[in-house]
Order: sequence, then C-alpha cells, then structure tokens
Amino acid sequence: MKTTATIFLFPSVSHVLRAESLLKAKGVRCKLIPVPRSVSSDCGVCLRVARKDAGMAAAALREGGLPVLGIHEI
Amino acid sequence: MSKTVDARGLACPQPVILARKALLEEDEIVVIVDNDTSRHNVTRMAERSGCTVTSETRADGTYLHIRKSAPAAQAPQPQVDEPTQGPLVVAISQDRMGSGDPELGAVLIRSFLHTLNEIHPLPKIMIFFNTGVRLVVEGSPVLEDLQTLQRQGVQMLACGTCLGYFGLKEKLAVGEVSNMYTIAETLLGAGKVVTL
Repeated sequence: MKTTATIFLFPSVSHVLRAESLLKAKGVRCKLIPVPRSVSSDCGVCLRVARKDAGMAAAALREGGLPVLGIHEI
Repeated sequence: MSKTVDARGLACPQPVILARKALLEEDEIVVIVDNDTSRHNVTRMAERSGCTVTSETRADGTYLHIRKSAPAAQAPQPQVDEPTQGPLVVAISQDRMGSGDPELGAVLIRSFLHTLNEIHPLPKIMIFFNTGVRLVVEGSPVLEDLQTLQRQGVQMLACGTCLGYFGLKEKLAVGEVSNMYTIAETLLGAGKVVTL
C-alpha cells in the first residue's frame, strides 16, 4: 500500500502538544491522532503530517529541540 | 378545514409544543413559523411522528402543512417500545473526554473523534450538549473529523439552549440546532447510548 502520511511519535502527551504548536507556528499542517494499532498497541497519541511535509516537520522539530521517539509511514 | 398554529415570534421549543398539541387533535394542521430553527424543529418532530410536511414560504412567514400520512398514524409519541432496536447514539456532554485533567481531556476527545471515523459501527446520531457544543462550532479542533462523520451519514444534533448560552448559535459549523424534545426522544429511543 502506498503511504500517504508520516507519523511522529513523542515521549509524552505534553511533547505532542508542544510539537503540534511548533509545527502549526511553522506552517506545517499536522493532526493529532491516536497512535495507529499497526505501529504500537500503546494508548498514545502522535502527530500525523502529509508525506511531502515530513522532511520539513522533522527539521522543525529538531530545531525546536523536541525529542522524536519514532517516525513511521502509514 | 385544518387547524392553524401561529408560532411566529415564539421561542424554541414553544412552536414544537404547540404543533404537537395540535396534532393530537387534528389529522392535518398548518404551522406558521418565522425562523429556520423553528421550521427545522417542527418539521423534524412531524416527520418523526409519521407525518408528511410541505413547506410554503410566504411574505409573512413559512407555512408548514402537516398531515398524518396514513390513517393508522397515531398521535406523535416517542418510539420507546423496542429500545434495543433503536439507533446507536453518542452523547457528548463536554468538550473534553473524562473529568480529570482538562488539557489531557482535550487531547483525548480529539483522539476519540478521530478514531470514530476508523472503527465500526458508526453511531447513527451524535448529540452535543453543555460544553460539548464547543466541538461543533467554528474554530473547533475536531471540525474536520465531525464533518467526515457527517458525510458518512452520522446525524449531529447540537443543543440550541447550550449554543445560545455560550453565544455560539451563529457559529455552528457542523450538524443542526436541536431542542430538548428531540434530544430526549433520541436518547430514550436509542438502542444504545454512549455518553462522554
């Protein structure tokens, strides 16, 4: 299956919220969603961005000093 | 000659109450309303009661011609005879999920409403009341998910009293304004209600 989105995993809900604000401020469209079952069975949330924006998002998060636990294509 | 109920200038839910009363006495009535909310609510009540409704717009108001469609049609009663046969209803009573930490609750409701789009069965009806109505207005973080659910056929009812209380009536962005009659009938006629 062709992937259309990339998800970013973070250590905690607070990190997800901070990452969301950061990406929105940088103009990167993202959506807070539950971590997909295919990635983890944890009861967590993550950020989904369009596949084409993944590079930009990763760079912005790195710049903002936000720890990313994992990046998955879904 | 059919009975005429002039509900112009009356606030919700008065038009619905008057129309319901008139339907108990007559098989055919005309209800005159002067705003969209009343028109929707009276029409919905009549249709749910098995009546046919034709709407006619005149200069002095909207005339709703309501007729009981079959001779066997009874006076409008909530259908509570076989509740297990009724629809799956999700009632959202707040703009958060759970009553502990508010910030976490706001994250959880976003996560929950996103997930509803991905699992089955879909609810048939979603009811939003109290601070839950903040989720169906402009600027809501879950608008996209709710609009997707609506496109899939989920009916969304927002408590009009609540929208009014928060000054959000003009900002409704998904679903329709509803009243306590419809909300109560929907809850009591449901096969299953999941309340958040």
